[in-house]
Parts: sequence; C-alpha cells; structure tokens
Amino acid sequence: MTATVAPPDAAEVDLAGSRKERRKRERLEERDGVIPVQLYGLKRGTVSVMTICCVLFAIFTLVPIAWIIINSTKTQANIFGTFGFWFARPFEFFHNFRMLFEDVDDDGTYINWFGNTALYAVLGGVGATALAAFAGYGFARFQFRGSKVFFYIVIGALLVPIGAITLPLYLVYAKAHLINSIWGMILPSLVSPVGVYLMRTYIGLSVPRELIDAARIDGAGETRIFFKIALPLMVPGLMTVLLLSVVGVWNNYFLPLIIFSNNNLFPLTVGMGLWSQHATTSGDQNLYPLIVMGGLVTIAPLIILFLILQRYWRGGMLLGSIAN
Amino acid sequence: MSGTAISAPTRPTQGESRSQPRHSAFARRRDRRGSAFVSPFLLAFLLFMIVPLGYAIYESLFTSRLIGGTVFSGFSNYSQILGSGMFWSGVIRVIIFGAIQIPVMLIIAFFFATAFDLGVARFGRFFRTIFFIPFAVPVVVSALMWGFLFEPSYGPFVHLASALGFHNTNFLSSSLMLPSIIVIAIWEWTGYNSLILYTALKSVPRDIVEAAILDDTPLWKIILKVKLPMVRPAIVMLIFLNTIGALQLFVEPLILNNYSAGVISLNWTPVLYIYNTSINDAQYNLGAAMAVVLGLVIVAISVTSLLFRRRKGEFK
Repeated sequence: MTATVAPPDAAEVDLAGSRKERRKRERLEERDGVIPVQLYGLKRGTVSVMTICCVLFAIFTLVPIAWIIINSTKTQANIFGTFGFWFARPFEFFHNFRMLFEDVDDDGTYINWFGNTALYAVLGGVGATALAAFAGYGFARFQFRGSKVFFYIVIGALLVPIGAITLPLYLVYAKAHLINSIWGMILPSLVSPVGVYLMRTYIGLSVPRELIDAARIDGAGETRIFFKIALPLMVPGLMTVLLLSVVGVWNNYFLPLIIFSNNNLFPLTVGMGLWSQHATTSGDQNLYPLIVMGGLVTIAPLIILFLILQRYWRGGMLLGSIAN
Repeated sequence: MSGTAISAPTRPTQGESRSQPRHSAFARRRDRRGSAFVSPFLLAFLLFMIVPLGYAIYESLFTSRLIGGTVFSGFSNYSQILGSGMFWSGVIRVIIFGAIQIPVMLIIAFFFATAFDLGVARFGRFFRTIFFIPFAVPVVVSALMWGFLFEPSYGPFVHLASALGFHNTNFLSSSLMLPSIIVIAIWEWTGYNSLILYTALKSVPRDIVEAAILDDTPLWKIILKVKLPMVRPAIVMLIFLNTIGALQLFVEPLILNNYSAGVISLNWTPVLYIYNTSINDAQYNLGAAMAVVLGLVIVAISVTSLLFRRRKGEFK
C-alpha cells in the first residue's frame, strides 16, 4: 500500500515571492487537482446541501468560542442572568481584562501563569524541535552502530501513553528534587518521539544525500554541513514540529498539575483549573468573569499562531506520521 | 570540524541513491558523527522516559505500611488492582467512551474530508480552517467552556433543551455526563482527524478516479470502493491514535466535576484513579502499579493493531 503523500515541497520556501502570490499559486494548484463536480453526475443542489452541512458543523465548532468572546464582556451576575449568546450592559471587557493582573483569592495572578506557560512552551518547544532535528538528521543520513535499534525504540515510545508516564516522572522527581522546579516541566517536554519521527521522514525527502556528499568532498565538517546546508532545507518540517511541540506544552495539564504545588510556577492550564475549582467552593469571589476572560486570553494566541502558520499544518506533514 | 570553506557545491541530482562503500577510517568518523547527532535526544529520552518507567516498575513492587515503613511485596499491588472492580470499572467506562466517540467522530471527519476532497462544498478552505480551530484550544479550556454551556442552572444549553421541550435536562448528571464528554471530545478532535483524512484522500491518484468516472461508477461507489480502501492505512492509524487518547481520558471529567460535584467518582477513569490514588491519597506504590497496568493495556492494544496491519500487509 503506497498512500504516500506528495513530499513536502522544500523548494516552496526558496521560491518565495510575495505572500499574496504564494496564496494565489496555492489556490490555483488546489483547484487544479479537483475534478469538476459535474463529472461525478452530481446536481448543483448537492453542492448547496453539502455547504449547508459545513455551515452547521462550523456553527457547532464556533458556539463555545462565540460564547467565551461574548461573556468576556459581562459581570458575574450577567454571565448567570442574561442570555448567553448576546451582550449585556455593563460592558466589562476592559475591567475583566485588568483583573487578570491581580492576585484574586490568593491563587496567584493569571499574567504570571501566562508568562510561565510562554516560558515552558518556548523553551520546551524550541528544545524539543532542536533535539528532533539533530536526531532526525542522525537517523536519516547516518548509519552507525545501533542506529536501527535506537530508531525502533523511538518508534516504540510513540505508544507510551502520557497518562502512564506522568506519575513515574513524579516519583523520580521526588528523589531528584525536581518537584516545584521549572526544569521538571521543561526537560521532559524536550523528548518528542513524534518530532524525531517526523524530522527523519522529512529529511529523507528533502535533504539530498548527494548535496551532503558534495560538501564533504569539498572538505566541510559535519557540523558545518548540518547548519549551513541541511538546516535551511529542513525549515518547513521544523516549523511543523515546532508548532506541534509548542501546542503540546501549552496544553499539558497532568504533569504541571502534579509537580507544582507553588502557585507562582503554574502554567495557565493548572491555574485555570484551580480557579474553576475555587469558583464553586467560594461563591462571591467574582471568579467566573476571570475564568471566561482567562480562557479567551489562553486560546487567542494559539488560534492566531495557527492561522498565521496555516501552510505548515495544511501540507502533508501531519500525514507523515501516518502514511509510513 | 574542519575549517575549510565550502566552495560552491555541485547541484544535487534528484532522488535518492546509496552512497558507495566507505573507507573504514572515514566510516568510523562518520559513525561517531551520526551518534553525536542522535545522542542529545537519546540522553533526554533515557532520563525522562526509560528511567521513570523503570523506576515506576520498581516502586510498584513495594508497599508502604503505617508500621514497618516500605517493604517489598512482590506482585501484591498488581493482584490488588487486577482483583478489584475499582480499576476495571474505569477501564470499561473509557472503552465505552472510545467505542462511541471514535466511530462517530471518524464518520463525521470522513464525511467532511470527502466533501472537501471532491470539492462539493463551497469555501472548502475556509471551513477546513474553522474546523481545525478546536485543535488549538487546550483541553482544560474546552472543558471549562463546555462546562459553562452545559451547567445545570444557568447554562444556555439547558434553556435550549427546555425550549425544545426537554425540561430540567441536566447534561452533567451521572447519566448524561459520558454523552456530554463525548460531544466535547468530538468538538475537540473532528477537525484534526478530518484534516488528516483530507490529506490522505488528496494523495489518491487522480487517474484512478478519472478511470472510475469514465466507467460510469456512481459517486458513492467511487467514495466507498475506490477512495476509502486507499486511505485505509490513515484510518487504521487514526483509530489507533484516538484509542490511545480515549483510554487516557482525564482532564474533561476532572474539570466538569467542578460544575457538578459528586458525579465524577475517584475512579471514574483509570488516569483519574491513578491521580487520586497517588497524589491525593499518597499511595504511590499502588499508583505506580496502576500506571504500569494502564501502560501495558495500551501497549497491548497498540501491538495488536500493528500486528493486524502487518498481517494485512500494510505495516512496513
């Protein structure tokens, strides 16, 4: 079975051109690949019916997002008392936003958690991508003792569930004094077997052996070859791995939940979870508007990131892990 | 690293070719370089995956007692887990969850992936982007948002339900909690799965489809008999990834418990049970044994599915 994807096009980056031109080209290519609907013997009506289905599912997808945007402008009383899908006076968006900077309920401040999350996501994500790039290059372009065995172990690690590895990590941390240490959060994030697998596949497709050999004959060292020749060709693959790793750290809940007891180290996910727990136990703390506003500010950066970096997750890279 | 500058490299020819047998000294140097590239990852992998797993297995063989401290107890933790209904009721619940959520989600995902691939829906690009948005929302935040929507006293969905004639619907009651979580999971993951299926469908060669059209094959047959078999590996892989995810259900029930106290028991899902046993009850050894059992259950499922694929000649 050869359900291989069209190899991610490395040249795409070099061809550059303005963003507009690139978009136009992508759109044209997309239209090129599509067989006109009429050829299937379909009526025009089918297109309308399918579009309506898409609209319905899009509404389902956007309902919670719309709710959180609308309710970020409300007071606690209005969140409970007014229609959930329309605005109500007073308009408290800016007040709610300001409250994110304050230490409510002695839980710690949202803005601090946001900074922590960004720190963990950037260090963990960039680190994981770097290690995956090195390892993927090593596995794709070198044969050394044990390279096959090690690679199979990495593939095997794809099967190890996060839910089962987190408690073991905690037990080791208790011995290694990594409880309540930011390194306890960042270091395990560096291990991305999926990233290594994706990078190996990507390098296999986009960094020609001949180019590396030519550079060797010219006397370039391996480190120089990696940074000057291979790395620029890997950029689209690196972006995908970076995106997936950053999202992975940004979303991680279980690990920080059990290794941090100091509120000042919490990432957003754990802080928001704590607020939601306290909102039910202490009724009048006005925590609900904060949870809603906090939720909005948590998801906004990632959604924007995804919209900007669309072409990296659009392509065949995601499938790289699947097509084998 | 040799300091020589690179003179303009010769243009690479397209395609792959094995490099010739190498000079032994050269090869040994290459050998070391290869390991050097891989070793930072392998070191982190060893320290943060292999060591913890090994240590958890070691810890799972001990029991801490109030009197006498921690003593070696062999497999007694395991027999306690395997023999009690507490662990298995959670396992059964997540299996039911997966058995409903995964097929429903994949059918919806395949439906939209096909629609986008055939171009039978207008604005396909736009909808693909919209559908993918939930992937960027942390699970904690999606559980919080849906918790607000489902909340029994003020949640908008409760009003919606009573407007439709279903009065006093409690989406977070013990009977509706699992279906509600299924809806949340479908919301979270359909777009991602659909995108992967779409990419797989795109790679079906155009001439095969054109040949089918020339043979006057009806559309449903093209979809089910031509396209579906060609993306089967992608579907099998998605079933497998989603199953691993479903068995680890944890965040949604933990967060929804804040909106509707008492519905989520301590052992509602296996990971929740591990969390409550080890972190809240400080029974680390028992928790470690549970983590090992859960890991083994998941690995067993994965290996079975891989063997199945290999038997079908799909796994290389």
